Amino acid sequence: MEILEEDKPHVKLPLRQFYGVVWSSIKMMLAYKSWMIMDLLSTFASVVMYYFVGLQVNPLSLSQSGWGTSYLAFALIGVASSNYLWSCLVRLSHSIQHEIRGGTLETIAVTPVNMMTFFIGQTVRGYLVSLILLVGVFVVGITGLGVQFVMTSASLMAALVLFILMLISNQALGLIAAGIIMVHKRGDPIAFLVASMNEFLAGVLYPLEMLAAFPLLQAISMMFPYTYALDGMRRALILGASLADTGVLTDILVLSGFSVFLMPVGFVVLNWGYRTIRENGSTASY
Amino acid sequence: MKLEEIIEFLGERVPRLEVGVLEKVRAFVIRDFKTWWTYRLWVLLDITGALTSVATYYFVSRIVTPTALVNAGYTADFLTFTVIGISFQHYVWSSVSGLSEAIRDEQYDGTMETILSSRTSFRVFLLGESVFRFLVGSYFLIASLVMGLIIGAKFNLTLGSALAAAILTVLLIASHMVVGVLGAGAILKLKQGDPIVWAFTWLTQLFSGVLYPLGLLPGYLQWVGAVFPLTFSLDGLRRCLMNGEDLTSIAILGDAAKLVVFIVVMLPVSLWVFKVAYDSTRREGALGQY
Repeated sequence: MEILEEDKPHVKLPLRQFYGVVWSSIKMMLAYKSWMIMDLLSTFASVVMYYFVGLQVNPLSLSQSGWGTSYLAFALIGVASSNYLWSCLVRLSHSIQHEIRGGTLETIAVTPVNMMTFFIGQTVRGYLVSLILLVGVFVVGITGLGVQFVMTSASLMAALVLFILMLISNQALGLIAAGIIMVHKRGDPIAFLVASMNEFLAGVLYPLEMLAAFPLLQAISMMFPYTYALDGMRRALILGASLADTGVLTDILVLSGFSVFLMPVGFVVLNWGYRTIRENGSTASY
Repeated sequence: MKLEEIIEFLGERVPRLEVGVLEKVRAFVIRDFKTWWTYRLWVLLDITGALTSVATYYFVSRIVTPTALVNAGYTADFLTFTVIGISFQHYVWSSVSGLSEAIRDEQYDGTMETILSSRTSFRVFLLGESVFRFLVGSYFLIASLVMGLIIGAKFNLTLGSALAAAILTVLLIASHMVVGVLGAGAILKLKQGDPIVWAFTWLTQLFSGVLYPLGLLPGYLQWVGAVFPLTFSLDGLRRCLMNGEDLTSIAILGDAAKLVVFIVVMLPVSLWVFKVAYDSTRREGALGQY
């Protein structure tokens, strides 16, 4: 007993565990420097690509939809936020898949680290890392390609609130995806489907008004929280709308509704996934 | 027990079957197809992703003026232009990156050394995987083009233009197999991350004219596109499928000639790079490591 007894008590404070999870993931990520550079360059390349696509867009057609005359400004918000959302959405499920494949999820499960803390830590790490890319994209767009946004304190505040609500409402979908991936192991169907539909129907590359001729597609697009987040952020950054703007307020209300409804569902599915693999004894199998 | 008796006891009574390369390639294709088909949901999702990315550009085409396309010598139809660009870019990307992924998967699953300890050489393995990836890619390509047709893309197909497009597609496949072999060599050596496939994907998207004619790029960037076979393939294919040009067109002949030169020059280089990476990985005993 004397020999086997631990000298130091386990670290049980959730905050310290959380810090440990985030820091260990960041250290692991820093080990793959070439990947980070590739990620950065790819993100910048996608912005430059839409600069050249924008040269073909008729500014009059864009302004008729009410979004100003700069296609690059329009597309930059869409591409940057959808890329950010995609990387946040898949971060948790990818890291779970990675741990399962590497055979280390079981190891983590038997440590005193609370699994929910582990999941939240992985998610936050995803937010932080992707935020670097997001900021980089806006810096390249504004300083390198001359994109002009309305950046008053009121419009920036509105954009920030919408951005946070976009993360919360979509993270719920990320939790659902992670819960399902733990049980079904292969791929990430929910995240993939949400990302594809966001890209297609939320108006990332074209004004949503174009969907008016297709009521079914328009109705489907209204079912994704990202549609409202993108609309609101564009209102703030392109048109200079503040939190008092009716359009922005509507978007905030809808996003809040999505968050309140989806977040508990996300945690329930995540818990279900974790419980299921523990009961099946398939924590390490893939 | 005498030595002869031991040899007799342990020896194989039936000699090992000599299996031809074609039969092995067929076996790889069947094996990969069975694995691919096991995940039907993913087949469905992949096709949905490919089709929605084509459909997205239907809406983008509504706000685009096709002046730059006309200046580049294509018909004034942005939708058809992008449908061809996206479909063929996705085709070569999925085929080329699929090859590296196949190697990574075998390493992950611990089956790479098992395969190579059988009487199957790495070249046959690569060939089998390439054929499967291009077959699956062809399925997505056809689906994307049909989707394009449904949403209003206009293909100007005559017997002559179809023949020219078929020849350019064969050259496109051959030239990108070369890129795939380079990527395979890189992944064997580097394990994590594949700079060849990465560079190929992003640089071609930027500089090969997938979504815009190359004339929109500043002069000093246009030469970058000339390095990639996708640039010539897309130009030739668009001339066939949009303009209805055939093999008598100087531009198409020029594109085909550039692709042939690329293959002739780069095939030995990529095989050599692959051999160096393969030999070095074998010496290190790291063939199955990831």
